Amino acid sequence: MRGFGDLEAVVMDRMWRRGGETTVREVLEDLQSQREIAYTTVMSTMDNLHRKGWLSRKRQGKAFLYWPSLTREQYSARLMRDALDGGGNPSLVLSHFLDQMSDVEAATLRTAFQRAAAEEETR
Amino acid sequence: MSVAACLLLYSFTAAVLAPRLLVRLTHAGVAPQLGVLAWLAAIASVVASWATAAAFLVGELVTDWNQPGRSVVSACLAQLRAVAAGNYGLAVQLGLLALTTLAAAALAVLLGRLGKSLLRARTSTHEHARMARIAGRRVEGLDAVVLDAPQRAAYCVAGRPHTIVVTSAALAALDQRHLDAVLAHERAHLAGRHHLVLAVTRGLAAILPRIKLFTTGAAEVARLLEMCADDAAARQHGARTVLRALLTLSGAAPIPTGALGATGVGVLARAERLAAPPRPARRLRTRLLLGGFAVLIAAGPLLTGGLAASGLSFCGPM
Repeated sequence: MRGFGDLEAVVMDRMWRRGGETTVREVLEDLQSQREIAYTTVMSTMDNLHRKGWLSRKRQGKAFLYWPSLTREQYSARLMRDALDGGGNPSLVLSHFLDQMSDVEAATLRTAFQRAAAEEETR
Repeated sequence: MSVAACLLLYSFTAAVLAPRLLVRLTHAGVAPQLGVLAWLAAIASVVASWATAAAFLVGELVTDWNQPGRSVVSACLAQLRAVAAGNYGLAVQLGLLALTTLAAAALAVLLGRLGKSLLRARTSTHEHARMARIAGRRVEGLDAVVLDAPQRAAYCVAGRPHTIVVTSAALAALDQRHLDAVLAHERAHLAGRHHLVLAVTRGLAAILPRIKLFTTGAAEVARLLEMCADDAAARQHGARTVLRALLTLSGAAPIPTGALGATGVGVLARAERLAAPPRPARRLRTRLLLGGFAVLIAAGPLLTGGLAASGLSFCGPM
């Protein structure tokens, strides 16, 4: 699962964990404790993330200060809204393990399961 | 002309009759894989007969234009000329040209829209997968990303790479065995490329919402694909484990989005067939019927075209 393309995910993970404003250098040092990685790689990744809207930044002296544009929770909420509210984006193709159910349907499902379980016991 | 007319007549008949017959055969999910195949065969059959009809119309027109007096159209035109005894030949021919152009244009528009909708589906689905992989947490040993969310949900998204998403609430609710069953279900979707099938059937249904074969077909195919994935998960982890997982995830309070109820019906059918699998005799009968139907409807355009071309058909030369 953790391929090269996942560097963006790793950097975002770090950014959310740190909280507040961060320089490329600080993220680099953070990552270097776990893997061999070059300054330019981290810099271009963070630049990409900025371009795609995940990170905001402002100039401070010669370097940039970066911070997450939205919290992880805000992104999660947005994704869940897309995933669960079918009307939001009809061109999104997902396969849910379970579609949303009404209370009645959930109750019927439970009854069906209990009946099956009871039948199994009497056998 | 007669071939095209017969094909259109055939496609009309198939579009009306097939959904009724297929719903009856596939709704209970006795043989879901074969059911999907039969639905797809019916949908492809209708689309193929439109394409062939358009091709024949164009072909007739071209032959007629180049070699007057050879084709059925010319015979028809000659008759009309005789009746009208005026210079109507050109008018009729121009009318035919307009009709052919219209048919070809309609088909081109249809295919163009389908292509566009497939591209759109691909873009937003890949984008969702990418976002989920960045916003989701990784858990050691879990082949999925975890989104922090209060709803219990698990789903898969096609992308590069494909991504399975489980919410933190679902993760907390499921124990290891049931989680494995859920993941096996999602992996079956991805391995079977179900998202491609769904994108095509939904795309057609959205473009031509009046044709029941496409709308009913899209809904039924989606249901059947869930059942296929259930079966794959049940083969690995047992039907009862899958059923338990369904029950666990359904135990949460429903999410108030206003879109409730419309889609949930399939879950009951899924639970029923996991709890009480159909008997072998019924399974065999359904398989035979569905297999026969699929073969017949796949060969439908060919048979109709062949019969019409050889002049044996009841359509006769028109």
